[in-house]
Formats: sequence, structure tokens, C-alpha cells
Amino acid sequence: MTSRVLVSVRVRTSPGRAFEIFTRDIALWWTPNTLFQFTSGRRGSLAFEPQEGGRFTETLANGTVFEIGRIRVWQPGERLVFGWRQATFQPGQDTEVEVTFEAVGTETRVTVTHRGWDSVPDEHVARHGFPEAIFLRRHGEWWQALLARLRDQCA
Amino acid sequence: MSRRAAGLDRTLAALADPHRRRVIELLRERPHRAGELAQRTGLALPAMSRHLRRLRECGLVAESHPHFDARVRIYALDPKPMAALKRWLEETEALWSTQLTAFRRHVERVS
Repeated sequence: MTSRVLVSVRVRTSPGRAFEIFTRDIALWWTPNTLFQFTSGRRGSLAFEPQEGGRFTETLANGTVFEIGRIRVWQPGERLVFGWRQATFQPGQDTEVEVTFEAVGTETRVTVTHRGWDSVPDEHVARHGFPEAIFLRRHGEWWQALLARLRDQCA
Repeated sequence: MSRRAAGLDRTLAALADPHRRRVIELLRERPHRAGELAQRTGLALPAMSRHLRRLRECGLVAESHPHFDARVRIYALDPKPMAALKRWLEETEALWSTQLTAFRRHVERVS
């Protein structure tokens, strides 16, 4: 049983080209200044080894390579699934990212699903505080989600 | 299994009972007294007390007293067990929104 986050975007290109740019150019488009860092305090360059079983890595300026995860599904133009581990995770703790590429007319809908909160350690999650207002606003929604998940489980 | 996953299993086990699920639904409306909960679910008060204890043990429900009467117990949802999950979801959603926006901009540049 896992929790998930789903975010999507539409880009003006074909699914094949979107997949190619997403994977080949990740070092160019990825924005390093976020809450999440794979390696503590340092930012490196991201890269996919383009095949199933290949690595998704961050390479630091000093040449150190950190493996973020392995590529689990590599279907150009359709679907990409890879493991996602941050430096603060304990061994064996892992989350998973799935990216799908769907044609919408002449454009492509790129959808990211990030699953596996259950394996993220408390200490890590607790490091970043979030405004109380967001917390409260979402309170009801999460309960609803929890109950919906339970219904799914029991179905 | 991680500590959190174990906690979540306990939470879901507590919610597997239809009466306890009904209690959670009632508490989503507003806090209730134990007597009110018994009445609205059609259960005897001792049975309701047992369900409330179980929900309290896994941290789903919190008990408090109104300031004017320490004998009255008021039950409400306890948001703590879900706090870490909420935070992870918020942060991960923010991360991917930022990254996919950057990705779209990059696609527009190179196309």
C-alpha cells in the first residue's frame, strides 16, 4: 500500500520527442534549487542510462556519482519508471517515479506519479516545516483520501 | 517494514471496523461527546468507549475536556498521524510542479 503524488503538464511536441528530451536533457532542464536534494548540500548533474536496469544518477562536480535509482521501465515515447532514493533515506528505503507520455492532438501530456511515502523515514519528512494553513486546509481532504484508499483495499 | 508503514497498518486495521469508520465520519463533521457518538451510531456507551479507546491508541482520535467540566469527554480527529504523509505529499507535489514547468520551458526552447 502506497501513497502517491500526481502532477502533469502539456508540452508542444510528440510523445516520442518529449520522452527523448525528458531523459536525454534532464541535466539541462532540471531545476536544482528545491526542497529535495539527492546528495546533502551539493548539486550535481542528473542523467539516465537509457535502458531498463540502467541507473538514474547525480554526478557531483568532484566526479562522485550518486545512484538515485534504477530504471525499471524504459519504453521510449510511452512510459518511464525509476527508483528514487535521497541521501537521507535509510538503506532499503525507496520511492518510485512513473512518467507517462500521452498524445493529446499534436501535443503530449506528461504525467509524473511519485509513490511510496510509506518507506520515507519520519526524520527526513519532519525536516521541512510547512505552513499550518496548508496543513489545516488539506486536513479534510486527507481523511477523505485515507477512507477512499481503505475502500479500495476492502473492495 | 518501516516504523511508519507499521503505523499506517495499525491505522488501517483500526479503520477496518465499520463502527469505527462511522465514528471517523461523524468526527469529520465536528467534535462529539462519547454519548452523542453512541446515540448516532446506535451503539451502547460501553461498546462506543471501546471503539474510541482503539481509535485513540492508534492516534486517529484525540480526547479532551471542555474547560467548564473535566468529567465531559470530547472526541475529535487527531491530525498527527497524517501530518508526515501530508508533508511528504505537499513537498513532492511542489517539487514535480516546479520540475515539469522547467521541463515544458526547456521543450519550448529546443523545439
